[in-house]
Amino acid sequence: MRQPRSDFILFYLFCTFFILLIGFPFFWQITNSLKIEKEIFELRWMPSRIILNNYKEAFIRQPLLKFLFNSSIISSGATVLALLFGSMAAYSLARTDIRGKRLILLIILSVSLLPPIVIINPIYSIIRSLKLLNSHFGLMMVDTLFGLTISVWFLTPYFQSVPMDLEESAFIDGASPFLSFRKIIIPIVTPGIFTVGILVFIKAWNDFLFALVLNPIRARTVTVGLKLYESDNYIPWGTLMAASVVIVVPLIVVVLLLQKRIIGGLMEGGLKE
Amino acid sequence: MSRRQMGYLFLIPTMTIFFAFAIYPVFRTIYLSFFEYRLQFGNLKKFIGLTNYMKMFSSERFYLSLRFTMLFTFLTVSIEVFLGLIFAQFMNKNYPGKSLLRVVVLIPWAIPTIVSGFIWRFMVDDIYGVVNGILLSLGIIKEFIPWLSQTGSATVVLLVADIWKTTPYVSLLVLAGLQNIPRSFLEAAEIDGANGLKTYLYITFPLLKPVLATATLFRLIQSFKVYAIVVALTNGGPANTTEPLTLFTLRTYFDAGNYGYGAALASFTFIITVVIALLFLNIILKKVDI
Repeated sequence: MRQPRSDFILFYLFCTFFILLIGFPFFWQITNSLKIEKEIFELRWMPSRIILNNYKEAFIRQPLLKFLFNSSIISSGATVLALLFGSMAAYSLARTDIRGKRLILLIILSVSLLPPIVIINPIYSIIRSLKLLNSHFGLMMVDTLFGLTISVWFLTPYFQSVPMDLEESAFIDGASPFLSFRKIIIPIVTPGIFTVGILVFIKAWNDFLFALVLNPIRARTVTVGLKLYESDNYIPWGTLMAASVVIVVPLIVVVLLLQKRIIGGLMEGGLKE
Repeated sequence: MSRRQMGYLFLIPTMTIFFAFAIYPVFRTIYLSFFEYRLQFGNLKKFIGLTNYMKMFSSERFYLSLRFTMLFTFLTVSIEVFLGLIFAQFMNKNYPGKSLLRVVVLIPWAIPTIVSGFIWRFMVDDIYGVVNGILLSLGIIKEFIPWLSQTGSATVVLLVADIWKTTPYVSLLVLAGLQNIPRSFLEAAEIDGANGLKTYLYITFPLLKPVLATATLFRLIQSFKVYAIVVALTNGGPANTTEPLTLFTLRTYFDAGNYGYGAALASFTFIITVVIALLFLNIILKKVDI
């Protein structure tokens, strides 16, 4: 199609506007994490001298390292479980002749739409009676639930796209369904599983509501920890911005490294009809 | 073992987790909403029928909360979808730099809401805030505005923070829809002499409808459960005027220890969610076709 010159200019105007709009809050977060308090107050654009004191403070005022450790354990645990159980369920929905597939998918979709507040108190009671409040494992189970909604939903069509003949020839050679799942399907869908894993991990890492309710005292995650820098009448903005930079860095690195896959995954998710 | 048997076996872990942590809790919440059940009285439960619901519908705080939640949901979703349509149009252009746009879009989506909430709170702070600084130097305001201590401006900040975080994601969904439209459709329209606007209104937009409906469904339900952004920015203040239903319910549960009344509030959110889902039932049923 013809592209007039004005279209071209408009596009770059938009790019500039869009990048400034999205980028400014991040710029402000980073630049202020490197300033002394006085310069934060003066609203200077750049620190006159870059200091790392806020980062030091972020680790001293609160056990930030511990928060990072807890979040890593809980999110990776939930990701592994959601991928393991999710790929089993997706295989079952995509490749076997079980009954009630629509009902199961309907349940999965409904749970992904379910507001956490609807189920939070019974979950709290269950986790409490299992003596798993303030533990890694309790929160991990709940994050697995929401991770499963993502993993089953994305993996089922992915499993469906693997040609049936591949498996059939394995059956002719005498392979059991379980062997074919492990040796044929899983290797083919590994890239897809990987992408879904990132989506699950980000969701678990960013969870705030369940982390706050289930782990308010011990095994606190980064999102809950961030709230602790604030006291009644004072917020150490420099330190808070430094801490928030630290907790988003792992996410940004993952997103930048794997942007193509993530964008593909998100766009497919929106299209699936 | 047959394939079908293995199919059922493979569903067991997922279904167990779904029943234990989602399906049972939904019914438990609805069940408890008919009881007088307070943490202070231990495990004592007394059946009181619809009393919790009557209390809810005569509570001013509930209406305040409901009004805020509905206003927030309506405004964020409509603005995000509108902006998403415009942004996606640009993102769909084939100029150098388009991949940079798509990466930029991912970053607000990827960070925790609580983080974006704190960044915005810092930017609108009444002493340290850069927003006041910029507006003052442009001469738009004469003195620093305490953004978060007035209901109106606090609501605006909440809306802006949510729209900032979510519009990029909505744009990406719309972009997926745009790229799914066969090029030949648009070219045919152009050959027939349709101008850009006409092509958009009569061809592009109708073909985008399924994607827009899906995005709207998900965003309506997500926005109605708004929580973290409020906790970071206003914590429901001033005077509970920006307290969404999730926050009100959570406070009823865990600050007041009133499990029965909290369950009625949670059940209300559940009913609203079901109503929204029913409005989009055809989309949902299409999605579960296998």
